[in-house]
Amino acid sequence: MPDEEVLEEGVLNPVKPEIQDPLLQAILEENGTPATAPTGEEQPNPLPNPTDIVDCVVIGTGAGGAPLLARLAMAGLRVVALEAGPRHDARTDYATDEKAQAFLFWNDERLSAGKNPVAFGRNNSGTGVGGSTLHYTAYTPRAHRGDLILHTEFGQGVDWPFGIEELEPYYEELEHFMGISGPTPYPWDPSRRKGYPLAPLPLNGAALLMQKACAQLGIQTSPAANAALSARYYQEGIGWREACTNRGFCQAGCNIGAKASMDVTFLPLAEAHGAEIRADAFVTEIERDAQGSIVAVVYEQYGQTVRQRCKNLFLCAGAVETPRLLMLNELALTSGQVGKHFMAHPGVQVWGTFPEDIRPYKGIPGGLISEDTHRPKDADFAGGYLLQSIGVMPVTFASQMARGRKLWGQALRDYMVNYNHIAGINILGDCLPHEANFLELSDEKDARGLPKPRLHFTAQENEQRMNRHAEKLMRQIWEAAGATDIWAFERYAHVIGTARMGKSGDDAVVNPDGRAFDVPNLYICDNSVFPSALSVNPALTIMALSLRTADKFLAGLKA
Amino acid sequence: MSNYPEGTVRALLVTDMVTPATRAALQGRLNTSVHEPQFFEPQTYALLQAVAARLIPQPDRAEPIDIVAGVDQRLLEGKADGWRYDAMPPDREAYRLGLGGITQAAEALFQQPFLSLPEAQQDAVLEAVAAGTAPGENWQQLPIARFFEEMLAELTENYYAHPLAQEEIGYVGMADVPGWQHIQPGQLELREPEEVK
Repeated sequence: MPDEEVLEEGVLNPVKPEIQDPLLQAILEENGTPATAPTGEEQPNPLPNPTDIVDCVVIGTGAGGAPLLARLAMAGLRVVALEAGPRHDARTDYATDEKAQAFLFWNDERLSAGKNPVAFGRNNSGTGVGGSTLHYTAYTPRAHRGDLILHTEFGQGVDWPFGIEELEPYYEELEHFMGISGPTPYPWDPSRRKGYPLAPLPLNGAALLMQKACAQLGIQTSPAANAALSARYYQEGIGWREACTNRGFCQAGCNIGAKASMDVTFLPLAEAHGAEIRADAFVTEIERDAQGSIVAVVYEQYGQTVRQRCKNLFLCAGAVETPRLLMLNELALTSGQVGKHFMAHPGVQVWGTFPEDIRPYKGIPGGLISEDTHRPKDADFAGGYLLQSIGVMPVTFASQMARGRKLWGQALRDYMVNYNHIAGINILGDCLPHEANFLELSDEKDARGLPKPRLHFTAQENEQRMNRHAEKLMRQIWEAAGATDIWAFERYAHVIGTARMGKSGDDAVVNPDGRAFDVPNLYICDNSVFPSALSVNPALTIMALSLRTADKFLAGLKA
Repeated sequence: MSNYPEGTVRALLVTDMVTPATRAALQGRLNTSVHEPQFFEPQTYALLQAVAARLIPQPDRAEPIDIVAGVDQRLLEGKADGWRYDAMPPDREAYRLGLGGITQAAEALFQQPFLSLPEAQQDAVLEAVAAGTAPGENWQQLPIARFFEEMLAELTENYYAHPLAQEEIGYVGMADVPGWQHIQPGQLELREPEEVK
């Protein structure tokens, strides 16, 4: 496509991919065939007309990109989404097999540094039409008022540039649009205007054991809010979605459409309103004019380089790929905040062996929740956490058990024979932003010739205190529940921060509407804009921000 | 060793309680053929097999589950799982250095190649690697504890992804077409094997 390689005059194009590592060069020469286009019915989209200018390009189709894609399409705009990963039909392509489902994860290598290196891949990073929601556990608690004003409450961390009132209408809309199953009233926020549209999902073994033990200890629990359907539900753009069958495989992909991943909710809605989704489209370059406005996006698809001109860009690639693209393109960097303040939720797990026959593969993994620990009275740390019961798939469990306990030989096999008697609890806790935790581009190149990201993460004093508090409490709960051979696994989940939102371009990358301070037609919407980590699972809040960002953008168009 | 009857997963795989995609993934692992190493040199591959046989011993199986072929295949294809400890070299280099380190440790501790050692001494070498105390110059270039963790995790995953290992631990989650109605403790469905003690 020679036309597309000719840059317009004045267009800045700082990306110069090259492969330096001889080993990688060899790998590429041996196996370097690019992803091939789907065959049969699913043909790749025709290449765009190089002179065609669409209203909006959206990079990424996960929780950050999909809701706004639908919103913008419904407003009548011409929108194109570029998704790095493939499009799958979950009903026929998904196996109930952890290894076979590895295609759901972002498997390009990231370098994990610091004293608590964060695991990526299946731990937190997805790819494909639907992004990480294809493998999220679909925990959908709302953030609390206090989560957004951590600095006001504790003098640590930062406040969000707006309060919970800004998010609440979107939480309501999302819960009803996606059909979230959960308790009404919500025990830790009883004054909500609207309840959940569906009753909670049933409790599995781990959830019931935790429920009983917490009752003994005076800890309030409740069936959790979860974006899997407890009854069939009508979804605009796609039709009826069937109820969850308790197959317990949420983290490796739902094959019946019960879980509200983006591929069965916002993306079909967006397409029904004219949005175009291009799969297998890996963005490498973002082009600007001399005034600094974005004019086009360049991506690789099926071995070809394609350029799509646009009036506006929404960058929704997640808290690793979003800052990586900004850095590669030297875009929106003046605040000095791109890549900074990388946060990961403390997610300590406590496991135990029970006399009961539990079969941890049945039911949604996290059936039961407690938010009594949102602001624990005896806390020696800022912020708080929530508690969740956990069921687990066998390969994931065996792998992290090997890492965490270092059991090997006969001891490993003897322990794993008890798989059906094992249940866990974990936490999801707030994480304070810290200057020692950040993303940078390394000198090592990946198979595309682009620098691998390196992420530094060290749990600071606040996270360590929270971990200790939580581990002690969870051990008490599991002892009360009758567990033996109790052990804890320190881990960190979710990828947050790296392009923070704030009131001033001096210390933030995007303004409270999600627009980049440096670039007039660039919006960022994913977990990278979170100023603080929140004490709840992030997906619902990312989706709420996504709808809000679209509404702010559309309001600006009318003005 | 197992508390569950034999043949449970294999019997379910041929029923319509398993989807075609699931069946394809699991049947593929049951089809055994001898893997000829393509990434590793034959000698290094034999060493990795011997190490794996101590990390996940299978004295109860006439035909052990092959948990090493997948490592050779993955390294040949240059595939990753999304991340790597920054302190570690790339995976191919890590395995080469680490297996070389095990050879050095065996020579230093017992003056023999790892493959020639009796099981108890092989275990002593691996215990030293796991504890981070194994001798060998390669460990100056490779964080020993991280190498052990990475290798153990990969071999463990390969083992428990196998249908026969899943039979061993009483896992039948792959037979999920009918869904699960009985999910409380002690409530089994007909296709879930009862534990025998």
